[in-house]
Amino acid sequence: MQIYGASRYNLSMSVALGIDLGTTNSVAAIATPTGVEFILGPRGERVHPSVVAFPSSGGVVVGADAKRYRLTEPHHVIHSAKRFIGQNIRAPLVQLAMTGVRYRVEEGPNQQPIVVVRDRRMTMPEISSNVLLHLKRCAERQLGTPIKDAVVTVPANFTDGQRQATKEAGRLAGLDVMRLINEPTAAALAYGFGRDRQQVICVFDFGGGTFDVSILRLNGEVFEVLASEGDFFLGGDDLDRALGEVLAAECNRILGVDPRPHAALMMKLMMGAEAIKMHLSENDSAEGEIDGLDLPGAKGSKLPFAITRKQFEDLISGYVNRTCEVTKQVLLTAGIDARSVSEILCVGGSTRIPLVRQRLAEVFRKAPNTTINPDEVVSQGAAIQAGSLVGNLSSGTGMGARDAVATAAHSTLGGGGNVVLPDQQAKRPILMDVNPATLAIHTAGGFTERLLEKNAPIPIERSRVFTTSRDNQTRVEIDCCRGENRRYTENEPLGTLVLDDLPGGKRGELKIEVSFRVDADGILHVRATDQTTGVKQEAHLQVLGAPSALDMPG
Amino acid sequence: MSARVDVLLWAQRVLAMTGAPPHQLLGLKADATLEAAQEAFHKIARTSHPDIHRSGLTPEDLETVTLAYARCAGAYQEYRSKRIQTTRLQPIKEPLDSGAPARPSGPIGAQPGAGASGQMNGKALIYYRKAEIALRRGDLKGAMLQIKMAIAGDPQSTFLRTALVEIEAELAQNT
Repeated sequence: MQIYGASRYNLSMSVALGIDLGTTNSVAAIATPTGVEFILGPRGERVHPSVVAFPSSGGVVVGADAKRYRLTEPHHVIHSAKRFIGQNIRAPLVQLAMTGVRYRVEEGPNQQPIVVVRDRRMTMPEISSNVLLHLKRCAERQLGTPIKDAVVTVPANFTDGQRQATKEAGRLAGLDVMRLINEPTAAALAYGFGRDRQQVICVFDFGGGTFDVSILRLNGEVFEVLASEGDFFLGGDDLDRALGEVLAAECNRILGVDPRPHAALMMKLMMGAEAIKMHLSENDSAEGEIDGLDLPGAKGSKLPFAITRKQFEDLISGYVNRTCEVTKQVLLTAGIDARSVSEILCVGGSTRIPLVRQRLAEVFRKAPNTTINPDEVVSQGAAIQAGSLVGNLSSGTGMGARDAVATAAHSTLGGGGNVVLPDQQAKRPILMDVNPATLAIHTAGGFTERLLEKNAPIPIERSRVFTTSRDNQTRVEIDCCRGENRRYTENEPLGTLVLDDLPGGKRGELKIEVSFRVDADGILHVRATDQTTGVKQEAHLQVLGAPSALDMPG
Repeated sequence: MSARVDVLLWAQRVLAMTGAPPHQLLGLKADATLEAAQEAFHKIARTSHPDIHRSGLTPEDLETVTLAYARCAGAYQEYRSKRIQTTRLQPIKEPLDSGAPARPSGPIGAQPGAGASGQMNGKALIYYRKAEIALRRGDLKGAMLQIKMAIAGDPQSTFLRTALVEIEAELAQNT
């Protein structure tokens, strides 16, 4: 059935890549007439580490090869760029992330984090663009056709700046990022596409760095996100850290040296902790030793360990409880009873931990779906959306109705049967993603007026009319912010819009309409109009930490 | 071809209804329920979601359709947010009283490390920062978890003990 060579895909039919750009790993896929096909790396691997190395020998190395330099040249290996991308370097979360990496991060223009490797200074989108370019090249080699369109997934709680920076990374890699979709939404799409379901599902996404949980209503081809909540500092890394601290204490007790001040040593212990964690997902106990711990004054270089699953579960139960609390909260926000959720999809490697699945089953009184591959499901959804946007899923010549079924049935999600034959014309999925955070403006008295709530469907536009608060006011400044708090200063400022040359008049006379529009990518556009004169001021907010068009090379 | 004309006519009709109440944008009666609004909005999405018309319309026409769809989404959100307001159990609360030691001084992010860093060791500080983030989001339970982790990292810090007591008191007050 497969035809190899350059013309494996009809050249008139454009191929669009679906990319799950992860904190630790990335996966890319395309929707083909025979199902979702994964893009393989140079060694045939489906999962590509999101690691970029700048070795002393020169050049740029990406993916599995780059990971090899982690122990020899840790300062030249850039990982976890997703934790920094589009963020303000002064944000506490970024300061926190900086303690976990060994490469240099400095403050650049517009308070954005800049990576410094030797004499090179690179923005975070530039780093991520290397990963995207690697995936693009792998895909072009595999498919024998140039690729320019892509759909990239982002965590549901990614902010405006983070989304813009992710798009920028795509642009730098020579990709036209048609759409950013939220990771849980992509997972739901991979699950529900082509099956014409009427049900409510929960997507529980517990990855390496973040935790998200979303409730969706599937109504035929419509995928409506009802609510999404997350905890952006809860992930598998935290579990590793908890276990790593125990190992460090053991190291201190047995070898007589506290390893905590030694960064390289702690890195080894953390890597050991990660391996033990994974082992305990399959086994009841982990015994062995971590070797190669070269410490001056230590009573040896090997650290023996013996940890049972029960001990590990006690260690992480606080974190797991937290995920359950967020899950209960999101059910409340969505107005959905736990019993009416008919499927629980587990996404992200941390959902492999038995305790997590067990606690989830307690919340929903139903076992989560175990047939999906938590590492790949997000990229599958992205590939389906990418195919849909370029028109490959429903056009008669491309992916016909019968073939669209194959996409669902052949995927690991299909589970064989249960596939409802769609009409002759395969329906394009319609995604209703949600706004990641409440958006508001500064009003008199230091309070905020909400224009768009968190969890509102996007794309969306909402307007409110405001008046001036002083007499003869000819200039209005509109401060926009993100956050739930009623007090302006407690929220995160987004930027200011200025409306000049107003006709003045008594206070309250001027009517100014402020429109907030969040596009399908989750990016905010603000417009203010003076209703008496019709003076319009449209602004794309300059978000602190985001790369601006000026300081981006190329 | 007719689908293209239909969606454009619909979009122009929606855009002409500036300032109209939400139910009119969705083509509903004034007393429509959330369920009716959802059904109406899904119906609009099936025929008029901009993604469906991506390849069939000129960029200007697509923009018109996108804007009309976005306004309908705004109308639908009026219905959704009403429900959320009535079912939300835990309103986002102000963090601790100002002046209390656990409260981050000034807007976080402006001065990272200010104040707290001298009060505990580096490991505890990581968790303390997480607690600050949780507090800013009004999440007391999350903050308590992180403060406890911080105390495990630096059991000597009286600063952290005070913070824990403050958060526990706040939590007790809320429940």
